[in-house]
Amino acid sequence: MSKVVGIDLGTTNSLVAYVTDGVPVVIRDRNGDALVPSIVSAASDGTVYVGREAQRRLTLEASRTVYSVKRFMGRGFDDVRDEARHFPFRVGGDASGVVRIGLGDREFTAPELSALILRDLKRRAEEFFAAEGDIDPEVDRAVITVPAYFNDAQRTATRDAGRIAGLEVLRIINEPTAASLAYGLDKRHTGLIAVYDLGGGTFDISILRVEDGVFQVLSTNGDTHLGGDDIDLLLLEQVLADLDSDSPAYDWPETAGSANARRTPEAVQAIRQAVIQAKWDLSDREETGLLGKRMTRTELETMIRPIVERTLGPCRQALVDADLQPSQIDEVVLVGGSTRIPLVGRLVAELFGRTPHSELNPDEVVALGAALQADILVTGNREMLLLDVTPLSLGIETMGGVVSKIILRNSTIPATGSEMFTTFADNQTAVDIHVLQGERELVADNRSLARFKLRGIPPMPAGLPRVQVQFQIDANGILSVTARELRTDVEATIEVKPSYGLTDEQVEQMLLDSFENAEADFAARLLIDARNEAETVILATEKSLRSPEFSAVAAGDLQPGEEERIIAALGDLKAVLNDSDREVLQQKTHALNDATRHLAEVMMNRSVQHALSGRNIEDV
Amino acid sequence: MSSNTPYPTIQACKNCGGGAPIDVHFCPQCTKILSVGRHGDFFSFFGLPRRLKVEPADLEQRFRSLSRQFHPDYFYNAEPAERRASLERSSYLNDAYRTLRQPISRIEYLLQLEGLAARGPEEAAKQVPPALLEEVFALNEELDEVRDLRAGGAPAEDWKARLERAREPIEAKRVEHEQQLESLSAQWDALLDAPADDAQRRAVLVALRDRVLERNYINNLLAGIERELTT
Repeated sequence: MSKVVGIDLGTTNSLVAYVTDGVPVVIRDRNGDALVPSIVSAASDGTVYVGREAQRRLTLEASRTVYSVKRFMGRGFDDVRDEARHFPFRVGGDASGVVRIGLGDREFTAPELSALILRDLKRRAEEFFAAEGDIDPEVDRAVITVPAYFNDAQRTATRDAGRIAGLEVLRIINEPTAASLAYGLDKRHTGLIAVYDLGGGTFDISILRVEDGVFQVLSTNGDTHLGGDDIDLLLLEQVLADLDSDSPAYDWPETAGSANARRTPEAVQAIRQAVIQAKWDLSDREETGLLGKRMTRTELETMIRPIVERTLGPCRQALVDADLQPSQIDEVVLVGGSTRIPLVGRLVAELFGRTPHSELNPDEVVALGAALQADILVTGNREMLLLDVTPLSLGIETMGGVVSKIILRNSTIPATGSEMFTTFADNQTAVDIHVLQGERELVADNRSLARFKLRGIPPMPAGLPRVQVQFQIDANGILSVTARELRTDVEATIEVKPSYGLTDEQVEQMLLDSFENAEADFAARLLIDARNEAETVILATEKSLRSPEFSAVAAGDLQPGEEERIIAALGDLKAVLNDSDREVLQQKTHALNDATRHLAEVMMNRSVQHALSGRNIEDV
Repeated sequence: MSSNTPYPTIQACKNCGGGAPIDVHFCPQCTKILSVGRHGDFFSFFGLPRRLKVEPADLEQRFRSLSRQFHPDYFYNAEPAERRASLERSSYLNDAYRTLRQPISRIEYLLQLEGLAARGPEEAAKQVPPALLEEVFALNEELDEVRDLRAGGAPAEDWKARLERAREPIEAKRVEHEQQLESLSAQWDALLDAPADDAQRRAVLVALRDRVLERNYINNLLAGIERELTT
């Protein structure tokens, strides 16, 4: 039977997990790494890289490498015009249409780029299952998580990404709710839980009541544009501001030797990586160096405090919506990599008056919950049930550009609402309906989801037809609309024009395109494997060369010139490591392998002798 | 109309064609989940009488138990018709839960069931309920004076203090209405247990409707004062 997985499609990193014997497990690569950086890079020959390999290319070919794609999901170009300038890649699109991101010579939509990441996760899982000796390792179904505060367009974009990646998306679930499911496994607790989820690009707060295995979300709030990215950007801008003053305080990265060179996309990315490293360091230490300049945790906290404080408003609103005081919350759970920042934990503890939980790895807990939900759907396991809510009110445009709400925010999903429409002219057979999401009064202040045209209304005098339009939000938090003229009982047809999404036809086309590209992806895969192989040999060689025994070995066992040959072969291989010619890479790898074969034998013999002599002493 | 409004008592199973009592959720013959076609009302859906007093813990327990029976998560591998029925029934359950959870929406829903639906909120807001004429008149005078004060450049503390004072009688009315709604609700529940007296029940319902309309009007007034204070 093919496999089912849970996927956390993150702004910074993505993960895949599955359930075995009722226990959720994150799937790791052979280095034990669970995180796949949500980064996609295209080489000039069209080869596409995803994950660590793409991340490495960020400082080599920044303009051909995209990250934080999640920020663009379900958004229009107008929404992202301002932030687009912070990215080294091209962000474009029609003024009121879906965002298009330039990658190499092509333009992609955010769902297509996310699909590349999803396909990498799918492949990682399939390789894992195959290695486990599974007869049918194919992964064709998944639960994918989204921020709780994602609107309909963002959820639909995520589902589209799954489809483009060749996955049946069993369910879209909310990240904080998924996390609560993973936490709920450990302890059979009952009570009120607040899940505070600060990730790379998004923030969510969800308040849940857990009882009888039912995880019922009472309220949710958040900000889909608030996360670790904003902290990185703030720090980066600070450093870049110092660039212009040519501040001698920093040791600029190699690629940024001169003031001019520091502005290249690659140099900016190198500085960005340094900034991120400093941020990580300061989660564990009081002090670190940023490009050679001293930075203390206090300095960092002073800078980022306003960003972290932006999470507190949504927390308070969620409490109000759940009709609760902070003191009534029994447990607070921290989720998302950014909650490793000590200041975050402190401010959350202050707000709720209790120490938050962070026993489970905040990077992994969402994927674990997604895997559990996938298991529930497929096996019909009824131990647990998630009852989530819709984060934003759904409404329609009425006269004067005012929104009339049909389904209120924090309604448990699935939910329905209906509205009656009529005609304004005799024999009118179509009515336009504009659907919006948001809490504001005016159409202009809310998110436009779609414009519907209701057709097929039987011709009647004005005002006589009674068209009942039914809005259904399903368990994914995604809207569908049906309509019926009640006098004649005729089903009206609906033509959907998503405001910031893809039509079904577009998704189908992208799915086809991705199959056509499968061959190119296969080549990319082989290259990555070759590169991993090369890295393994390089590491092993360097380890031998650094070994304390090496000088004795070199003097006693190696032939003249052998050491030089090894060092030369090592240098040759390192020189081509980042090239995309697989043949050359393999050739140089073999060369280094050959050059070190004798050395490896000698080292091996010595360690065997060592071990044997050790035993002899014991035996005596 | 009385509280004994007739409603359908039987529904048909779309799967086996068998008949089922209106408020069961699964077909007694074929055990499949029933689609939400003909149904009773939110109260009967939960297996509750049309009482206005609802124990929150009891309602929540029923909600969780029904969720566990209908939720689409548990019908993922079922036939399309069953999946649709599970989606419909869960949506209906969630609507019912949301409506019955709050005392006011519970009263409004009961009024609607009993054929005494309050008119739309827009209409209700336009007409001053007769019982509030005095307060509304006084408030409007006060608001006019406050606006004059503000236009004349009076210090904020002055006009804010006046607004706060103007709010007091309205706030008192609000509290009074909450209490009246509570006692009328108790009366309704008591009559439900007593031998049927339609005229008495009707009188309680009419009183409930008037208090609800007045309450909504009062809340609009309070929101208006709040807006003046914060702008």
